[in-house]
Amino acid sequence: MGIDMQFTTLFQQIINGLSLGSVYALIAVGYSLVYSILSFSNFAHGGFLVVGGYICYGLLSGLDVYGYFTIPPFNIWLAGLNALIGAGFIAVLTERLAYKPIRERTSMTLYLLIASMGVSIVIENIFVIVVGGRFRALPQDIFQDVFAVLEKILGFFGLQSTREGSSHLFNLGGNVTVSMFDILSLIVAVLFLGGLQLFLRRTRWGLAIRAAACDLRTAGLMGVNVSLLIGIVFFVAGVLAAIGGIFLSFRYTLYPQLGGITTKAFVAAVIGGLGSLPGAVVGSLILGLAEMLSTGFISSQMRDLVVFSLLVIMLLVKPAGFFGKQISDKI
Amino acid sequence: MNKNLLGSAAFVALGAALAFVPLSGYQEGIVVLLCINCIAAMGVSLLTGFTGIFTLGHAAYMALGAYTAAIMTVRYGIHWLPAIVAGGIVAVFVAWLIGIPTLRLTGDYYAIASIGLGEAIRLILENWQSFTRGARGFPGIESYSTRPVSVVFFTVLGIFMFNLLDSRLGRELKASRDDRAAASLMGFHTPTSRMKALLLSAFYCGISGALLAGYMNFIQPSMFDMMKSTELTAVVVFGGLGSMSGTLLGSAIITSVMEYFRDISQYRMLIYGFLLVVIMVLRPEGLLGSREIWSFFMPASDGSGGARGRE
Repeated sequence: MGIDMQFTTLFQQIINGLSLGSVYALIAVGYSLVYSILSFSNFAHGGFLVVGGYICYGLLSGLDVYGYFTIPPFNIWLAGLNALIGAGFIAVLTERLAYKPIRERTSMTLYLLIASMGVSIVIENIFVIVVGGRFRALPQDIFQDVFAVLEKILGFFGLQSTREGSSHLFNLGGNVTVSMFDILSLIVAVLFLGGLQLFLRRTRWGLAIRAAACDLRTAGLMGVNVSLLIGIVFFVAGVLAAIGGIFLSFRYTLYPQLGGITTKAFVAAVIGGLGSLPGAVVGSLILGLAEMLSTGFISSQMRDLVVFSLLVIMLLVKPAGFFGKQISDKI
Repeated sequence: MNKNLLGSAAFVALGAALAFVPLSGYQEGIVVLLCINCIAAMGVSLLTGFTGIFTLGHAAYMALGAYTAAIMTVRYGIHWLPAIVAGGIVAVFVAWLIGIPTLRLTGDYYAIASIGLGEAIRLILENWQSFTRGARGFPGIESYSTRPVSVVFFTVLGIFMFNLLDSRLGRELKASRDDRAAASLMGFHTPTSRMKALLLSAFYCGISGALLAGYMNFIQPSMFDMMKSTELTAVVVFGGLGSMSGTLLGSAIITSVMEYFRDISQYRMLIYGFLLVVIMVLRPEGLLGSREIWSFFMPASDGSGGARGRE
């Protein structure tokens, strides 16, 4: 019986881990994409995530801009779409205002890194000042429409859903249940990552981005509009971060410091190999699994420690990550 | 040699001024805080500005120093002076353990590893309830960081640092920062010198943290989070990478500005972040670039004092 329980927990946590990992993957891929083009760690990436989360929250609950005009509550589709575009726009704006002047002046990525930290502090504190630092929960029923669609699709395969309060659960047999939300975040992540992959492999701009990841200068010499290309990359990164932001603020709560969670996405990107998109996905899934398994079997306080130990072990064994270019010192 | 004596004398004069000019209680507090911040900034400057290792986790070494000193004085009744030094030594020991695997990394990889390790140390302090009292914080530390104590620590460590930069090790570090391969070809064992830089910077941060514990009388792990690490590095970049006097100047300015805006603390961080971006856009080389402050007053020198800009 005890072993049965253990097995159920294991299975349950693997599913939770994959779902969490897929959210990390959305964040890590955007971060890695920027890294692959400009080779600097964009610490403002967490800011884009928070922007996405707050736009979604604001539109879902209806905005009241100091009594001048009010925006009625949107449904999740529209609010989500606006959040993605808004975060993408903020990402492009950040690049244009803060990074572009530095990029054009020097080749030292260190300055970009510091500027990105500044941006992340600015975004975080704008939200602290404007909307306040308290924790906000996204309304629990926002995904009802989406869940209804999902329910039909999964019902087609004969999976029965049950409701416990506001959370939808699926019974996978035995005592293993999956929440609808976990399935949803997994599906959305797969869709968007697949879409990104198609964009990078099948379009001219995708080709240009892949070329720029190889060598930005040469890509420019080959006639690629580098400035526009970087804009597109930042937009994509912002959009992906916003999806991550919406899911994270639903999973936990929304607060201005939520962007700090990107540290884990950075760690995931390093484990997979900085600048490598498949690496970012693999690293994120490993991280999500590690986090959830340590929650299930050790304690939830230890999960962050497990994450960072994983980073150290990876750096010891394979500093370039699973898919990274060999960067470690050869001297 | 003459130059070094002169510099040391200037430093002692600065220290004496900080220690003996009559100030109100509030101003005294600022002087203590200034000394504490400057000590930590010097440590980070050695690593980031002079060795080219970009760190985002040095608040953890401050935390180690702070907790070591606090636990030793409060729980074991040890005198504060050995406790402060022990704080530095514990930081050095942990830095050594961490340095072995991570110093092989370069650039952003090291930066992210240092974030991870810094956070890991903070999390350990937070979860080791029985020893550190965890997130509730560690109260009741005696106020040993008086103005004379912190000024003396600042002066001694400052003189040591400026002489170090002009020593063989200092040149070794600068050489390995500018071109690792060339420095190795010159016969320097760059991994060793990088390790030395890390250990020294950890020592400075440990001492600074131990002094901070004695100044605040209360420490908690969240005081040493990633934000604090960012601040340490930002101060160094603000002052100018590769300029120790710039680091001190930058640290003094940032400390005073933050103190000045204490009343509008909501906007304080916003201004701070904005300042970081603006400085990077307008003057990325920082206040003094890679020059030391006295090189502005001296006639064009031989250019050996690290006055060449880093492109």
